[in-house]
Amino acid sequence: MITTTPTLSPVLIAGLPLRLLPPIALQPLLDTLMGTLRRRHPEVFTRLGCIDNPVYEIDPIDLPFRFLLRMTATAPRLRAARDTDAGLDQAGATIRGPLLTLIELLEGRTDGDALFFSRRLTISGDTEAVVALRNALDDAEVDLLGDILASAGPLASPLSRALGVAGHIFKRAALDLETVRGAILEPVTARLDGHETAARELEARITELQHGGRRRRREAP
Amino acid sequence: MSAPPASAAGKPLELVCPAGTPAALKAAVAAGADSVYLGFRDETNARNFPGLNFSRDELAESLRVAHGEGVKVLVAVNTFPEAGNPDPWHRAVDDAAGMGADALIVADIGLAAYAARNHPETRRHLSVQAAASNPQAIRFYAEELGVKRVVLPRVLTIAEIAALNARISVETEVFVFGGLCVMAEGRCSLSSYVTGVSPNKDGACSPASHVRYEDAGGRLASRLAGSMINAFEPGEPAAYPTLCKGRFRHRGIASYLFEEPSSLSLVHLIPELQAAGVTALKIEGRQRGRAYVSQAVAAFRRAVDAAAEGRAVQVDELVGISEGQRDTTGAYQRGWK
Repeated sequence: MITTTPTLSPVLIAGLPLRLLPPIALQPLLDTLMGTLRRRHPEVFTRLGCIDNPVYEIDPIDLPFRFLLRMTATAPRLRAARDTDAGLDQAGATIRGPLLTLIELLEGRTDGDALFFSRRLTISGDTEAVVALRNALDDAEVDLLGDILASAGPLASPLSRALGVAGHIFKRAALDLETVRGAILEPVTARLDGHETAARELEARITELQHGGRRRRREAP
Repeated sequence: MSAPPASAAGKPLELVCPAGTPAALKAAVAAGADSVYLGFRDETNARNFPGLNFSRDELAESLRVAHGEGVKVLVAVNTFPEAGNPDPWHRAVDDAAGMGADALIVADIGLAAYAARNHPETRRHLSVQAAASNPQAIRFYAEELGVKRVVLPRVLTIAEIAALNARISVETEVFVFGGLCVMAEGRCSLSSYVTGVSPNKDGACSPASHVRYEDAGGRLASRLAGSMINAFEPGEPAAYPTLCKGRFRHRGIASYLFEEPSSLSLVHLIPELQAAGVTALKIEGRQRGRAYVSQAVAAFRRAVDAAAEGRAVQVDELVGISEGQRDTTGAYQRGWK
């Protein structure tokens, strides 16, 4: 299986205690999300009409869960699962990447092909189903927070404020973790830089010796 | 990358931008497109990909959106009709013209004749798929079929384009960014040979239904109709799963025999294209997401406006959305001849 190693991020840290949570505990939230998608973006299912049984495994590599996404127009469903869940076998295709990258893709804020070229996203299984899902979602102009708030009724205002605070904390934590990551990697980076310089010098020396050898052969009587 | 000062400053060149969905069309319009090209959701256009393209209703609404902002809509009906079954292509031409498209982009000579006969009032542009690259061919399309613009195949140098423009009276449009096709446009059968699905008739090169990605000992392998065509080391930028960009082993060495994965980018050559008498610049990528459309169109909008004003401009943001994370000037600056 092609895997992508997650980088140190707030999602990875936050995901560690989630290992204790049974996947079923996420179901009310996931049901709300899918209900909102169906209600506010029905055209997604029209565009996916070209795919028989569109079932996907979504694997955010920095979370301890995977998700089984069934995108049938009549009964769409999103379900969390452990890596070992046999139900994941129902998926015809797998989409794998960091959670925030997957959310950016869902909202059309990043280009799926560019993510693929840069290897930040991997796919396997039924490529046609993946391409259709990407195109359908890209056209839907999903705004995850906006959609959630629109479905929250009277709770929208306090929820919006809470999400704003959470977003601020997340950004701060991401910056702090980047600093920590840099500090941990610094000795290794310095050594690698040294090796790279030495390798370049050796390469230049070899080229010089090769040119010298050719010159001597040409000049030989 | 820094563009040199324009050598022929003047009216900005027309920026023709891709849209695979109505949302991408809105993104192109917002980012500064002069024209948007698109296709119907079927085999009548050369980007017949799953979940992509426009229904008739979506085209009607998109025409309203684009025209409201003064942006033209060009409808690509640029595949070749199946023998004995021209109806889907005729319907596409009839519907696009009837709904008020600003131009039809056609490749097949018979379809061009059909459009000229039945919709003489609708502009006809000759698709790159027609591969018209010399004055005689272009004059024929212009004089006999009323073609007003020719999208030039990506096989000419800028000097050749300038010489061509001096000898024809119709507008020329050239690709300036995006995926490259190594073959003479519309004449490639590599994908058909392997998959049985024709890019020219069915509208999909390396159709997604025939593509698989899998793990090959830690490498990302791409397969087309069961045949492995490339394998990428961990961290190595990946490419589209087309045979022309496959990596093949010859005398024990695996290499790109046809074409390396990279995107065309002429962002720093716009002044030269302007001086060569080109009318319009085309960005490839109807199959890409609206984030790509926004980014590519905005970058080229800046570059086109700067060239028109004779200013230099710095455009660095395109490599991140390029295939293989690399770009090339392709045949436009041909170094191998």
